[in-house]
Amino acid sequence: MYSRLATWWTILSISLQERFVYRGDFALGTLMRFLPIVTQIFLWYAIFQTRGFEPLNGFTYQDMVAYFLLTMVGRAFSSMPGLSSQIAAQIRTGEIKKYLTQPIDLVGFFLLSRAAHKLVYYVVAIGPFALVFFLCRSFFDGWPSATTMLAFAASLVMGFLLGFFLEASMGLVGFWLLEVSSLLFIYMLFSFFLSGHMFPLDMLPEPWHTIVTYTPLQYLAYFPAAVFLEKVTGWDLVRGLALELAWVVFLALLARWLLARGIRRYSGYGG
Amino acid sequence: MAVIEIENLSKSYRVYQKREGLWASIRGLFSRQYRDVQAVKSVSLRVEKGEFVAFLGPNGAGKTTTLKLLSGIIYPSGGTARVMGFVPWERKIAYRRRFALVMGQKNQLWWDLPAQESFRLHQQIYRIEPSQFQATLDELTELLDIKQLLAQPVRELSLGERMKMELTAALLHQPEVLYLDEPTIGLDVVAQHRIQQFLKHYQHQRQITIMLSSHYMKDVAALCQRVVIITHGQIRYDGSLSGIIDRFSGQKLVTLTLADEAPIAGLERFGQVVETQLPKVKIRIDRTQVAKALAAILAQHAIEDIAVEDPPLEEVIADLFSQVQHGAPVEPEAAIAR
Amino acid sequence: MTGPSYLGVLAMFARNSLVRDMTFRANFLIECVTSLTWMLMNLGFYLLIFHYTESLGPDTGWGQDEFFAFLATTMLVNSLVQTFFMPNCEEVNELIRTGGLDFALLKPIDTQFLISLRKMEWSSLSNFAGGLCLLAYSVYQLTTGSENPVVLTPVVAALYVFYAGCGVAILYSLMIALAATSIWLGQNRSLYDFWFYITNFSRYPMEIYDGAWGLPLRYVCLYLVPVLVVVNVPARLLAQPLRPEPSLGVPLALFAVAATAGCLLASRLVFVQALRSYRSASS
Repeated sequence: MYSRLATWWTILSISLQERFVYRGDFALGTLMRFLPIVTQIFLWYAIFQTRGFEPLNGFTYQDMVAYFLLTMVGRAFSSMPGLSSQIAAQIRTGEIKKYLTQPIDLVGFFLLSRAAHKLVYYVVAIGPFALVFFLCRSFFDGWPSATTMLAFAASLVMGFLLGFFLEASMGLVGFWLLEVSSLLFIYMLFSFFLSGHMFPLDMLPEPWHTIVTYTPLQYLAYFPAAVFLEKVTGWDLVRGLALELAWVVFLALLARWLLARGIRRYSGYGG
Repeated sequence: MAVIEIENLSKSYRVYQKREGLWASIRGLFSRQYRDVQAVKSVSLRVEKGEFVAFLGPNGAGKTTTLKLLSGIIYPSGGTARVMGFVPWERKIAYRRRFALVMGQKNQLWWDLPAQESFRLHQQIYRIEPSQFQATLDELTELLDIKQLLAQPVRELSLGERMKMELTAALLHQPEVLYLDEPTIGLDVVAQHRIQQFLKHYQHQRQITIMLSSHYMKDVAALCQRVVIITHGQIRYDGSLSGIIDRFSGQKLVTLTLADEAPIAGLERFGQVVETQLPKVKIRIDRTQVAKALAAILAQHAIEDIAVEDPPLEEVIADLFSQVQHGAPVEPEAAIAR
Repeated sequence: MTGPSYLGVLAMFARNSLVRDMTFRANFLIECVTSLTWMLMNLGFYLLIFHYTESLGPDTGWGQDEFFAFLATTMLVNSLVQTFFMPNCEEVNELIRTGGLDFALLKPIDTQFLISLRKMEWSSLSNFAGGLCLLAYSVYQLTTGSENPVVLTPVVAALYVFYAGCGVAILYSLMIALAATSIWLGQNRSLYDFWFYITNFSRYPMEIYDGAWGLPLRYVCLYLVPVLVVVNVPARLLAQPLRPEPSLGVPLALFAVAATAGCLLASRLVFVQALRSYRSASS
């Protein structure tokens, strides 16, 4: 047990070091990430102005700005830049072999190293995030209730796991498909529009709206923000969180299964 | 008139020093330590037209950096250089038309396309007359025996075949000066030999000036009359291949053929016994002591035959490089004086 | 001694890229389809928006048809950048890492030209076709509209093409300048993100940047980093030539030309300066 922990700590600290090396990228990247929001906010301001500031499917202008800021938090947890292609590349180049001889499996290794990346990211990003939220505090109606905060935190943590296992599964498809980039692109496309980071999913007309609330994509950005803004409450909230948990478990199992099948297939080739 | 003239050429890099450990790398976010590395230190060299010069040195000695300086890829931190009257790092188009650089570890051909497409691109870039282009291409592909590979995507070629293609690409515009950086690295013996043969033939025929960097003695021995040894960015030796031994080896290899098969005790006091294969015994003896030692041995023992040789070149060079790598200062003058 | 034939080399690049694309035909088709899908998704998003509003901002004149002409211009300009420049600028990093830049520096041809146009991504031209379709549709809607139909003269059409070209040039300048900075900074992985974020401002009519925060932003993106010139000038010329404020008067039209020249020149300076400090990957 102790040696296992030691292994994990080593992986974690190596990943942390690796992240710190690219410091310039890091600080710049974090700040830059807020720029698209600025355009979004101006766009929606123009739209609300034309509408005479009449709420839009329950979203006031204030809500809308708050929503976009909150989706940034959600995505800070759920986005896994480059994970799938990294895994696929390791499969393609045969680098994956090293995990077969080491006492840790590929998915576990990547989960830890991503967790480390995220931790470092939060350490650096908390500054810019706090600043932006402080400057924009007038768009929020104070802190939500403790229950809501708890649900928000749960949705974020599960969002991280969901994003991870989703991307990992896609990367593992690389065992069967040599080139996963087109698959990734399609995923990116759908997650761009259906995770809710372009617009609150409530705006979608039926039947699209109902369909989207059952997909895992909404948990990447829309759901945490909607929870914080108390757009999802009561039974809907419980159901939403339960569904998210179900998706996490399903995707985790899927990733394991793909890994097991993939390695069997890979070894079948004789490496 | 010298084709290449280098004077006091220097190049130093600033290198970020990464420190060990997690805490150190966090600190590295805020302050970084840099170290100046002198890749080339005050190198001076003259190369005449038609010379085939070898740059010999261990990894990191500054060979590649010097070639890159001469190609104008990087700027020097000091000194001057002129190649065919041009200052390389001014990157004059007219200069670029007249030389070529081949790097064994890098390739410039389009990976997914047949080599002939890359060659045609070269033709456009260098504005080579179609008839001349075809003639040169025919000649090179003939010499290198790659005609049948021209239509195959480069990624499907073997390492040796790829190097032949790289050479062809570099020679299409008939450069007057050719820089070769480790052209046979990673190749098997047969492919190495082919490339050496080709270079020898081509250089002899065209009388172009070639500077070749390598750490393979075989390349050098096969091709070059003149050898420049460079370590730690400085020139240690400039002269003929055989001169290296006189300069750097303080020892001779003495082979004694004994009159009877009984071993002789006490030979160690003259030098290091390398090999005993009775009736032959090989001893390494300090150059200055050879005469004295032989006299002593002959006086005491029955010897049938004596051969005094220089140690093999490879060995001398390997010794020299390993001394350098272990940080011992190499002082050739002192070695001779001893 | 004759100089290199730039047109010949360009034709060679185009040809080689096409040959390469055709050897991976399936990949090529998938790329065409995915980028068109991306375009349609975008279109869907704006249809959704115009489901909730008549125009972008009150009295700006950017109704659905006008904005779709704007969107079509964005697509045309971006697809050209993606076809010719993006695959190359993205690769500058890789060229530095693998030493490919060394070879570029040896060639007797302008290094910036060689680096900027080596590869072409033909599949991105599918977006160009998509943009043309959308443009045709919205121009048809605008010229046959019931009230104040727009009149399309050959002069307007020619100016539109010219200013769209200026837009491409401005985006290219920004991109190559950013790519050149990776020679200084070593690895510069956020290059693409950075470019995306900056050009993000060019995707909307400049009227939406209004108010105490918006106006300064508008001026910065117009005069300092002129990304607002890129799409706004040609699109406005086509979609709302008659609107007075903020008008596409002679000053803005002249400024757009000056901005293009300035950007090209500045990026050239950055590129040349960056090459001076190139230190080449150690082998």
